[in-house]
Amino acid sequence: NAPSEDEMAKWKEPLIERMISRQNTNLMQIVYGKPGLKPSSSIEEVHGSSEDEESDGDEFFKPKGEINKNLKEGTEVYHVNIEDSSKFINHIKLKNWKDEELIESIRDRFVTGDWSKASRRGQ
Amino acid sequence: MGKISFMRLKGSQHLRQRLVLATLSSTPILIDDIRHEETWPGLRPYEVSLLRLIEKLTDDCIVEINETGTKLKYKPGVIIGGKHLVHDCGLSRSIGYFLEPLLLIAIFGKKPLTIRLAGITNDSKDPSVDTFRKVTMPLLKRFGVPPEGLYLKIESRGCPPLGGGEIVLGVPIVPNSLTAVTWIDEGMVQRIRGTTFSTRVHPECEKTMTYTARGIFNRLLPDVHVFGDHRSGPQAGKSPGYGISLFAQTTSGCFISTDTAVSYARVEETDDYDDERKELTPPDEVGEQAASTLLGEIEQGGVVDSTHQGMLFLLCALCPPDVSKVRVGKLSQYGIETLRHIRDFLGVKFVIKPDSATETVLLTCVGCGLKNLSRKLS
Repeated sequence: NAPSEDEMAKWKEPLIERMISRQNTNLMQIVYGKPGLKPSSSIEEVHGSSEDEESDGDEFFKPKGEINKNLKEGTEVYHVNIEDSSKFINHIKLKNWKDEELIESIRDRFVTGDWSKASRRGQ
Repeated sequence: MGKISFMRLKGSQHLRQRLVLATLSSTPILIDDIRHEETWPGLRPYEVSLLRLIEKLTDDCIVEINETGTKLKYKPGVIIGGKHLVHDCGLSRSIGYFLEPLLLIAIFGKKPLTIRLAGITNDSKDPSVDTFRKVTMPLLKRFGVPPEGLYLKIESRGCPPLGGGEIVLGVPIVPNSLTAVTWIDEGMVQRIRGTTFSTRVHPECEKTMTYTARGIFNRLLPDVHVFGDHRSGPQAGKSPGYGISLFAQTTSGCFISTDTAVSYARVEETDDYDDERKELTPPDEVGEQAASTLLGEIEQGGVVDSTHQGMLFLLCALCPPDVSKVRVGKLSQYGIETLRHIRDFLGVKFVIKPDSATETVLLTCVGCGLKNLSRKLS
C-alpha cells in the first residue's frame, strides 16, 4: 500500500517550497554563518588572518602564543587542524546516572515509561 | 588533458569528509597548511594510509603530497571497488577511522567491495568495529543500501599500541541512487544490547564491565543483554585491552550507540594527545562510564547518536532530489562541520529548526541527486 512515485512527489511539494522560502533562525546562522557572507567565507577568513597581514619578516619571528591569539580571532581557525574524529567524547560532562531523579527524568524515553508522552515526541 | 581547477582548502581538519565529498562529487581539491605550524608538520601516517586506501578503490585518481606533507593535491578518479582487496590501516588510528569514508565511497562504486583490513579494531578515539556492525550498517540500509553483501566479520581483535586485529568488510553498491528518508520518530528504547571484548587480559574484566553497566540500566529497562567476546591466542592481537560497545534499540528502529576501550597508550603519540594514561581505567568504571554515556545520548534524543550525525547528514545530502527530514539531539561539532562541508562540495543546504518541546533539532534538506555513475561506465 505504498504510495506511488507521483503521489509522493505531490505530497512533498509544499515541504520543498516552505523550505526554500523560510529564512531560518539562529541555528542556521551558527552552522552556515551570517546570510550576507558568501559560502566559502570561513576558509577565506582563515587565509586572511594568518597570512595576508604582516606578510614580511615579522611573521617569521612571532612568538608562538601571539600567533595562537591571532588565530583565535578568526571564527573558524580553531578548527583548522582539529583532530578528525566522529566519535563524540564527553566524559567530563557525564552525569551521575545512579541518581534517582535523573533516572526518572528520562523514564519516558523507555518502553517502561509513559507511552502517550513519547508518542507526542514523534510528531 | 585540460586544465584542472582545484577547490582550495586549508588545514588538516575533516580530511576524511573532504576526501569522501571530493570523490563523490568529482571535485579535485588542493589542501594547504596541513599542520604547518606544528612541531611535527604535515600529514599523519593514518591520513596517508587513507589516501592509499582510496587509491586502491578508485581508478585514475591522482594524489600528490609535497615534501613536508603540508600540501595535498587530490584529483578523484572513478570508484571501482572489487573483491579480495587488502589494506593495512597501520597503528596510528583504528580501523574505525577508515570505515566511515570507505563505506560512503564504496556504495557508489562500480563493483561491490570486499576488503580485508588489518590494524586496531577497538580504541577510545574512533567508533569500534562492533558499533559499526550493529549501528552504522543498519543506518545505511535505511537509505536504501541493499542488505545483501553488507557485512563485517571480526577475524581477530587488536588493541593499541600494537594492534594485530583483522576484519573482513563487504560493501554492496547502490544500484542507482539512495532513497530519501523522513525519519523523525525516535521511538522509545525497548532493548539495550552490547558487546564486551577482552584481549590478553583475564576474561573476568568483561563480566565486571557488564555487571556495572547493567547495574545502571536495570532501573530503567529489564531487557539488557551484553555479550562477551573474549579472544585468546592469535585472535587476541598483540596488545592487552578491554572495552565495551553498547547500543539501545528503540520501538521505531533507531539505534543509539556508544563504545569505549582501554589499553596502553601508543608509543609514538605526541604531547597533544592527552590520553596517555599509565594505569588502565578499571573495568567497573569503564562499564559505568559507557552506560552513563549511552543514557546521556538517549536523554538528548534524536534518531541517531552524536557519533553518527555526520554520517546521517552525508547520506541525506547524497540522496536524490527529494526531501529528507531527520531529527537529532544536540548538534555535535563534527556534525556542524559536516554540514558546512556538504554545502561547500554539494551545494546542499539544510534547513535547521530547533524543536523546543523536545530540545531536539530537525533538519530538512533536498538531496543533491547523486547517481551511481561508476556502475554505468564500462
